[in-house]
This record gives sequence, C-alpha cells and structure tokens, in this order.
Amino acid sequence: MEVTLLVQATDDAFRTLENARQQAIGLLDTAVGLTAETRSVQKKNIQAIFRGAQETRSKLQNFIGTFFLMFVFWVLLSGRFDTFHLTLGIICCLFISLLSYDLLFANIRIGDYGLVVRRFLSYAPWLIYQIILSNFHVAALALKPNLPVDPHVMKFKTKLETDISWVTLANSITLTPGTITMDIKDGEFYVHALDKKVADDLDTGEMEDRIAHIFMEADHIYVQDALDVARIYGAIR
Amino acid sequence: MWPEYTEQSDNFGGKNKMIRVTDDVIIKTIARVLTPFIQVYALYVIMHGHHSPGGGFQGGVILAASLILLLITHGWAETKKKFSETKTAVFCAVGVLIYTGIGVLCIFMGGNFLDYGKLGGLLMVIPPEARSLGILGVEIGVGITVMAVMFSIFFDTSTGGNSPEDETTSSLR
Amino acid sequence: MHEFFLSTSILLCFLVLLCLYRGTVGPGVLNRIAGISAIGTKTLVILLLMGFIYDRVEMFVDISMVYALLNFIGTLAVAKYLEIEGEV
Repeated sequence: MEVTLLVQATDDAFRTLENARQQAIGLLDTAVGLTAETRSVQKKNIQAIFRGAQETRSKLQNFIGTFFLMFVFWVLLSGRFDTFHLTLGIICCLFISLLSYDLLFANIRIGDYGLVVRRFLSYAPWLIYQIILSNFHVAALALKPNLPVDPHVMKFKTKLETDISWVTLANSITLTPGTITMDIKDGEFYVHALDKKVADDLDTGEMEDRIAHIFMEADHIYVQDALDVARIYGAIR
Repeated sequence: MWPEYTEQSDNFGGKNKMIRVTDDVIIKTIARVLTPFIQVYALYVIMHGHHSPGGGFQGGVILAASLILLLITHGWAETKKKFSETKTAVFCAVGVLIYTGIGVLCIFMGGNFLDYGKLGGLLMVIPPEARSLGILGVEIGVGITVMAVMFSIFFDTSTGGNSPEDETTSSLR
Repeated sequence: MHEFFLSTSILLCFLVLLCLYRGTVGPGVLNRIAGISAIGTKTLVILLLMGFIYDRVEMFVDISMVYALLNFIGTLAVAKYLEIEGEV
C-alpha cells in the first residue's frame, strides 16, 4: 500500500517535473527568439544611426515638425495674437523650416515622442535634486581650510547610442557641481571629477540608466531579458 | 546627414581649419538643435522692431550669428547647401534694393525719400498704417543686407580671401 | 522690492569685478576666456534685474537672450580659433 503510494507520488513528481521542463524549454525558445529579434532590430537601428541615414522619416515630415515647433516658439516669443503678427509668424516659420528642416530632427530615433517628453520632465526634478546635493558637498569642500580635494580624470564607456542622449548625459554631468565632461570620443566619456565622492556617485551609473530610460535606448532589452528570466525561473520552481 | 569627413572636402587642402567640421559631438549636436531657434528669434527681432528693442540691424546680426555657428561647427560643406557664396552676394544686393526701392517708391508717390505716409494710396490703407508697413519693409531689407554682409565678413576673414568654391572644384576634379 | 533687486545687482557687479580680475591677469588664455564668459552670464542676470527695476521685463528679456546667444557663439569661435592655432 505504502509502496504504491510512494510510486504514485514519484510518478506525479516526475510528471510535474517533465511538464515544468517542457514549459521551461518553450519559454526559453520564445525568449531566445525574442532576444534575437530585438537584437536584430537594435542592430539595424544602430546601423541606421551611424550611417546618419534618415530612412523612416521623410523630408516632408521633418519640415512639418520643424514648422510646428518653430511656430509654437514664435507665439511664445511674440505674445500677439492679431492676424497680422500671426501671418508674419507663419511666413517666417515657413522660411526657417525651408532653410533648416534637416537640422532639428536629424539622427533621431523612431518612437513615442510624448513618452520621451514626459520622461524627460520627470527626470528634471531628480537632476535638480542631485545638483543641490552635490552643490552642498562641493561648497563644504571649498570652505574647509585644508581643502581636501582629489582631482582626477575618469574614463568610462557608455551604453547610450544616439548623439542626443550623449549630449544629455554630458550636460547633466557638467551641470552637477564637481564633475565636468571634458570630451566624448567614440562613446567614451572623459570626466574630470573633483573628489572621490562625486566620482563614486557618477560611477554608480544611475544617471546613465535614467537617461537610457528617457530615450528608450538600452533599457528595454535589459528589462525584457530580466522579465524572461523571471518567468522561466518561476515556471521551473 | 553629415557628409563623410574628408580632408579635401572640408579642409581645402589644409589651408583653412576655422570652417571645417568639428569632431566634438556635444558642440555639433547643440549647434544643430539650437540653430533653428536662433533663426526664428532673429526673424522675431526683425519683425517686432517697432514694439520691442531690436530691428533690422540686430536681427540681421543674430541671423548671421546662427549661420556662423553652423559654419564653425558643421563646416563649409554643410553650410554651402543652405547659404552659398553666390547667395551671399545676391542677398547683399537684394537688401539694399528693397531699402532703396521703398524709398524711391515714396518719391514716385509724390513724397520725399522714405516718406512712408505716401504709400497709403498704393497699399490702400491709412497713412499711419502705411508708415508702419513701410518701416517693416525697410527693416527687412536692412536685415537681409546685414545678415549677408556679416556672414561674408566672417567667411572672408576666416578663409583669408581664398574662395573655397574655386579651390574645392579645382582640387576635387 | 526694488531695493532688493538693486542690492542684488550691486552684489553681482562686485562679482563681475572679481571675474574681470581673472580675465585681465589670469595666467593663460583659457582662464581669460572662462572669466569673460562668466562676466557674460552675470551681465545677463543684471540685465534681467534691471528689467524688473524699470518695470520693462519683456524688453530686457529680449536683450538678455541676445546677450547670452552672442556670448555663447563668441566663446565657441574663440575656442575654435585657439584650437587651430595650437595654443591649447
């Protein structure tokens, strides 16, 4: 009796294990497929960016986008809503869009611009908070009589890909007191840091992660990978 | 969008480095994003000269500054597509033509030189409004000329008088 | 409120003097450029405060924007000139 029960239990256990194994294999297959797909899409995007090609956006789209952005800027500047000034604004913005339609939206990624703007707006308060924090730190450093600074140049490779996110990261680093971006060469940042603490703060990579999150650059692959691994892990357990 | 960097296309055989492409990503991107806004601001200064400070000269200088920014960051090969030397010469003359044309038109309408009030009959508005419109036209002319001349001064002093258009055509072909 | 703006402007003028010291005697060209662009930034703020003092902010905002713009482009041009002349 007990032996049959034991055998049954073992059978059940084996069956469950087999099911779990099949599920895990299926999940792994889909995960590999997904990752390969994202990788290839990513590779194509990077190639397009580095070729400087503008394959998905035509000149007309750039023209219209530039025109509307410039018109909003004109209305902000002018503040007059009579017909004469609005007509002047439309003529001027058309002229500017004709002259430099290829400047503003060059090298930009395909994506949800509203999301980028919203994420950027939520990034700004964090940046201001960091600036205030390191402001106090640098002020305390400068006011100490023995001047405990340790200036050095640090070099790190970034995972960001487009020029606009490089510039955002570089300007965020420069805006934070104590660190200054000296140069960007082939995706490597050369940063002058005043102190060990500010360098460590930069080394944690939180700023880079947040900027990658804004421009949806490297993070979505990593998040996808993490989600896949979690699902597989849960199924096997 | 940026052309392939070659010594010949940007550098004019090593003679001029002031107007070649910079290899700094930050400056290039900031200049690219900022240029259209500067241009709109320049046109705003020209068009609103009678409400706020500014006018033809100041707006023209800002417009030229945006082109100079483009020239020293993106190089001559990129700027040439927007504002070539031929266009510079043409705009120099066209601005003066607009200015003088409005002035002489006032003489033909029976007033003095640049007597805008007499343009009212031609534009079918009352004389004060005609004066406003005439000043706007004159300022547009001044702005165009100042823009072209400022750009030309910077370009000529940085190239040292050698016309790069001749040089590139002779050295590349 | 005008007294506050006025005293802030005077304080900023004093800071401009400090930057001017760096701009005139500062060793090397780079210190001078840094000093001059710092003066430009402070002049911008002083112009805005003057706008508040004279109650013509919308006029002085335009002037200060032009000032910031030309300061930026001027610094860039000087930096590029120094780069090609091999002074840096």
